[in-house]
Amino acid sequence: MKPPAFEYVVAETVEEATARLAEYGDDARPIAGGQSLVPMMNFRLVSPAVLIDIRKIAPPDTIEEADGHVRIGALTRHRALETSPLIADRFPVVTAAMKHVAHLAIRNRGTIGGSLCHADPAAELPAIAVLLDARISVARQGGERTIEARDFFEGALWTAVGDDEIVTRIDLPLLPPGAGWGFHEFARRHGDFGLAGAAATVTKSAGRATEVRIALLGVGETPVRAHAAEALLTGSDFGPDAVAAAAVAVRDGIDPTDDLHASADYRRHLAGVLAERALADAWGRAGNGAS
Amino acid sequence: MSGIATAGAADVARPGIVGARVQRREDPRLLTGRGTYVDDRKVDGAVHIAFCRSDRAHARIGRIDAAGARQAPGVLGVFTAGDIDAVARPIRATSNMPDYRATELEPLARGKVRYVGEPVVAVVAENRYLAEDAAGLVSVDYDPLPEVTDPEAALEDRALLHESAGTNVIAAREFARGDVDGAMAGAAIVVEDRFRIRRKTPSAIENRSCLAEFEAGRQALTLHASTQVPGLLRDALAEIFDLPGRRLRVVAPDVGGGFGAKASLYPEEVVVCALAMRLGRPVKWTSDRMEDLTATSQAFDEIVRARLALEPDGRFVALDADVIGDVGAYSIYPWTASLEPVQVVSFLPGPYRLQNYRGRVRAVATSKAPMGPYRGVGRPISTFVMERLVDMAAKKLAMDPAELRARNLVRDDEFPYKSGSGIVWDRSGFQDCLRSALDRFGYAQRRTEQAAARNEGRLVGIGIASYAELTGIGSRISAAPGMPINTGTERATIEIDSTGGVTAAFGIASHGQGLETTLAQIVAEELGVRVEDVEIIHGDSAAVAHSTGTYASRSTVLAGGAATLSARALRKQAIEAASYLLEAAEADIEMRGGVISVAGTDSSITLRELARAFYTEMRRIPKEARESLELSASATYDPFFGTTTGATHVAEVEVDPQTFGVTVRNYVVAEDCGRIVNPMIVDGQVHGGVAQGIGAALYEEVVHDESGQILTGSFVDYVVPSAAEIPDMAVIHLETESPSTLGGYRGMGEGGTIGAPAAIANAVADALSGLDARVNELPITPDRLFRLIRDAEQRKGESRYEA
Repeated sequence: MKPPAFEYVVAETVEEATARLAEYGDDARPIAGGQSLVPMMNFRLVSPAVLIDIRKIAPPDTIEEADGHVRIGALTRHRALETSPLIADRFPVVTAAMKHVAHLAIRNRGTIGGSLCHADPAAELPAIAVLLDARISVARQGGERTIEARDFFEGALWTAVGDDEIVTRIDLPLLPPGAGWGFHEFARRHGDFGLAGAAATVTKSAGRATEVRIALLGVGETPVRAHAAEALLTGSDFGPDAVAAAAVAVRDGIDPTDDLHASADYRRHLAGVLAERALADAWGRAGNGAS
Repeated sequence: MSGIATAGAADVARPGIVGARVQRREDPRLLTGRGTYVDDRKVDGAVHIAFCRSDRAHARIGRIDAAGARQAPGVLGVFTAGDIDAVARPIRATSNMPDYRATELEPLARGKVRYVGEPVVAVVAENRYLAEDAAGLVSVDYDPLPEVTDPEAALEDRALLHESAGTNVIAAREFARGDVDGAMAGAAIVVEDRFRIRRKTPSAIENRSCLAEFEAGRQALTLHASTQVPGLLRDALAEIFDLPGRRLRVVAPDVGGGFGAKASLYPEEVVVCALAMRLGRPVKWTSDRMEDLTATSQAFDEIVRARLALEPDGRFVALDADVIGDVGAYSIYPWTASLEPVQVVSFLPGPYRLQNYRGRVRAVATSKAPMGPYRGVGRPISTFVMERLVDMAAKKLAMDPAELRARNLVRDDEFPYKSGSGIVWDRSGFQDCLRSALDRFGYAQRRTEQAAARNEGRLVGIGIASYAELTGIGSRISAAPGMPINTGTERATIEIDSTGGVTAAFGIASHGQGLETTLAQIVAEELGVRVEDVEIIHGDSAAVAHSTGTYASRSTVLAGGAATLSARALRKQAIEAASYLLEAAEADIEMRGGVISVAGTDSSITLRELARAFYTEMRRIPKEARESLELSASATYDPFFGTTTGATHVAEVEVDPQTFGVTVRNYVVAEDCGRIVNPMIVDGQVHGGVAQGIGAALYEEVVHDESGQILTGSFVDYVVPSAAEIPDMAVIHLETESPSTLGGYRGMGEGGTIGAPAAIANAVADALSGLDARVNELPITPDRLFRLIRDAEQRKGESRYEA
């Protein structure tokens, strides 16, 4: 379990990193926290000829608010996101989700850009990006573009980021005032990838939901939004029947597969249960939007 | 949270070194990264092996193309079966057990491969990176052979894994006592089921590792190996390489866990030795985790059909069981493929009064890693099956499961008791363990709380498991029945050197149990010195003339016994030598805390002074005495039969009725391991054993697909519980005097793993008792529980599940 030989270069700026990527093409992989890439290299599942170390690109991690969104640098460690007072205030759902990301040692090393690009369908951050309609900025030599979270994840471990691009930041548009939130995940062991998980936000006004979002992890090739369930609940009073119907819609809207740890049937069942729990929490935490 | 409920009479009378919570002397080293494991051993000129392992479960080996690998940078050679055969005899685990068929294990596969992960080609290079690069260039042609993966299908012998055996059933045995059929026919009630426990791998934190160094000048071979059995390996390798034992040394330095998986001889160990001799360079191989999960011995893979018959008052009258053990591709040396499944039928009657018993076992070879010993060996399965049957019977009789056990556990006045399978329980607090565990658990109160929780729709369950095991087994019955090794004795040599230092040498090999501490306590107490004065040598075949090592809950009993005998002999000689210096009669001299004194006087000398007088200051002790005495003693201890260790575990679990997650809420162990050397270490052993048992019950499973591919090649997929999944537990120690062992010690290293799967399974079944759900398969994963509950509810026509 040793990686084959590779070249190692350090890029200190985005321009330098993208120039290197342009030079080496798909023989190169950027490395930051290395929490997914290094194990994959040790298993020889990937064998990049060149590793471009992007950790020195400044600023290393930034979390700041501007113009109706919170902007997070791609090199921000999971732990920084987890402990950020700004995130805890604006996006408590992110703080809650981060606690489910592996173990402290991994959160101290892993970066959010790395997690998004690794695109494990059971990972928390991709589901959060989809939930919050994140905009993900990527750079390549001589250019930059922004990808909506819904377009970012193309398959398991597969994203819209090109071989010559790196993720530079993620922008989370602020939620409406008073938005409630919920996050529930079920894993066999503390710190494992969830067998399934659900994140929700709910905004309400005069006892009715004005905006509902549900994102699911671990139930398919990519994190998904449960649009049908969202539509059922929007405008509802979140009564037991409405929530039960939404859970049915969650289950009907996904197509999980069997794997070693969970059958498709069980995952589908679990997604409904966790979505109900996340929705109940979100509804309970939501304040009236007018306030 | 742990507690000591009772202290043995010996403890109260004499709060000595034995029985004290002495801190583990190995911990400062091991916990601060100063341990020295095999892989830490850096030797000039060492080269490294990467193995090309079979990616087929069952196939004939065709052409092996290693031309590219031989040319690769840093490669010293590429070797196949023929290269090793030229210098090494095949490994053959023999036994005189009837219906046992030995299978030869070639260090590198010859002719065909029989499991995914079997070593086929050894690539040797200057470092492991280059070796792996070159291994990637080797291509092996395989001609597929029919699958032999399902143990029940393999019984039919449509395809054979070992043609020479003529059958896939490589061991079979039957125990029968009394009139099972008659008792079954006449019984008031019978409970039965088909039980399945899925394959485990012991997963020690340190992967296997070995380093062979051959000194051409002395024609001497030294193997450093991460093993529990250095002496056993030395003896085996001496045969395999036809080398005299005095020029063959096997050293187990610090070893990071074994759990039985490091108690066997492995092909890789033979290969490093063969190639070190051939290449004239030290040769190292350190397993990576994937190799460990695929090619280290696996365990606990059985299908058991069992029936228990009872009288209306709950008395057990008959037990009948048929066991199929999936023993994997080869019969492991020295234990053979029979070890694990035969123990299932040997121990199935448990600590209960039961005279009509029939247990039949067949060990079936399949295309999987060989089955070997794993903490508990067979007894986690026998206990799971028997204890489930007891709870099923209690439910059928509408009797409290604790009461049903109390009615059937062997009582104190019935020892020694010969069990249904012929095992003799010498004496153990079976009833005491049950009572103490229930008391500490607060059984009656918790049953009340459980009823209240159930009324709220919560699935709370309580499970009990009682078991008994034989530990410290001596030469009369053997831990390895029919096998040509002696597991019944251990030897110790204790010496006082010229500085007064005490060194005690053993053949056992501590690999995490704290034996450096416990043996030092025994030596210190028996000799009359301070614990810190005693150095313990272990894990080295050169330390004593014969030893097999540490396994089968034997080291405290056997090595502790040898320590006791040799310490007593040494003490006698030291006192005799001191008698010349103190000018007193031996009978008046005592030795305590390293000081030798004349009773009732202030006349004394230290051990250091004695040693100086004995070895250096030649005029102080007469020549004749110095020549006839020795400040050294050796002894061998043989417990002959061995002794009984019993315990009761009580678990409380809660099942989430929606996610099917199982949380272990409370856990109590009451165990009787006789006289305790170090309660803190016993606590730790119980905690760790229970954790592994919880793993067996809820998490761990080696999975193969139909074609024999292993799907659990990493710790992402082979799920071992972490600290977060393990509850606090209360441990109660009973110290029933063992009449059978020197010092009254009993083995206890495995017990936690034996009781926990059954206790958890019973607790989960109890949580689901409102449903007709058959909890008969381990591990109880959330997905299995989902299907179990869905199926049960669908039978009742009240499904809540969309799928």
